[in-house]
Amino acid sequence: MPRVVKSTIIDAPVDRVWAVLRDFNGHDRWHPAVASSAIERGAPPDRVGCVRRFRLKDGAELREQLLTLSDLEQCFSYCLLDTPIPLFNYVAHVRLMPVTDGDRSFWGWESRFTTRAGEEAQMTEMVGEQIYQAGFDAIRRHLAS
Amino acid sequence: MARVYVSSVINARSDRVWARIRDFNGLPNWHPAIAESRIENGEPADKIGCVRDFRLRNGDRIRERLLGLSDHDLFCTYSILESPMGVVNYVATLRLTPVTDGERTFAEWTAEFDCAPEREAELVSNIGGGVFQGGFDSLKRAFGG
Repeated sequence: MPRVVKSTIIDAPVDRVWAVLRDFNGHDRWHPAVASSAIERGAPPDRVGCVRRFRLKDGAELREQLLTLSDLEQCFSYCLLDTPIPLFNYVAHVRLMPVTDGDRSFWGWESRFTTRAGEEAQMTEMVGEQIYQAGFDAIRRHLAS
Repeated sequence: MARVYVSSVINARSDRVWARIRDFNGLPNWHPAIAESRIENGEPADKIGCVRDFRLRNGDRIRERLLGLSDHDLFCTYSILESPMGVVNYVATLRLTPVTDGERTFAEWTAEFDCAPEREAELVSNIGGGVFQGGFDSLKRAFGG
């Protein structure tokens, strides 16, 4: 089962980063791959179990469900329900920790999934670089703007 | 129960930082406050349950027991058996997490303990700002920032 683990340091206090990340319906405002986002059935985006529908910049649509959200631990997890790309059993975890030395933030983003035989390396690269690392870089720009 | 949390970023891969700190008998090699250390009863320093008896540069003696050590998850947990600090139920964990974005290391050092209420603020400050941050500052210097 492929596993992707990515992490970075963001030069901003952890509460400021969390205020952006905790909005399960707000990734279209900062992630370069996401064109629009909506929560199904008018649910609040911090209601565990809610489903977000993403339209990606390339026109593809995917649905993801919020599994965990904690303002205390500053973490959330979610799974993919429907996707046009071969990512199955995909569960991802995002967590923040304060870097007390310099009032910065540690951000970890990781997932496990299955895919079609032979596509493990390609999917691992896509998730790790185009979603997670691109997300890190985008938040850095978003917070600086 | 008092809690201390201090975290920092070391400019080196986590396996290199871990190689420096995993030796439970090696505090004098990297922590500026520690003058000398030995493991009691000639036990190996990575044997869970072993006791280190060390002396600070200010002359204080402290005995600590190794409770957990993981080369996989890169953490070390220990308790204080004897010290002049006036703490009881003291358990601390030093943990490293790789930062994939730039080959750095996120280092966290936590402690929980009980003490006289009027001494809590001073102890939290001394342990967190003095011992833990002092150790991180030394690691940062050793690994170039």
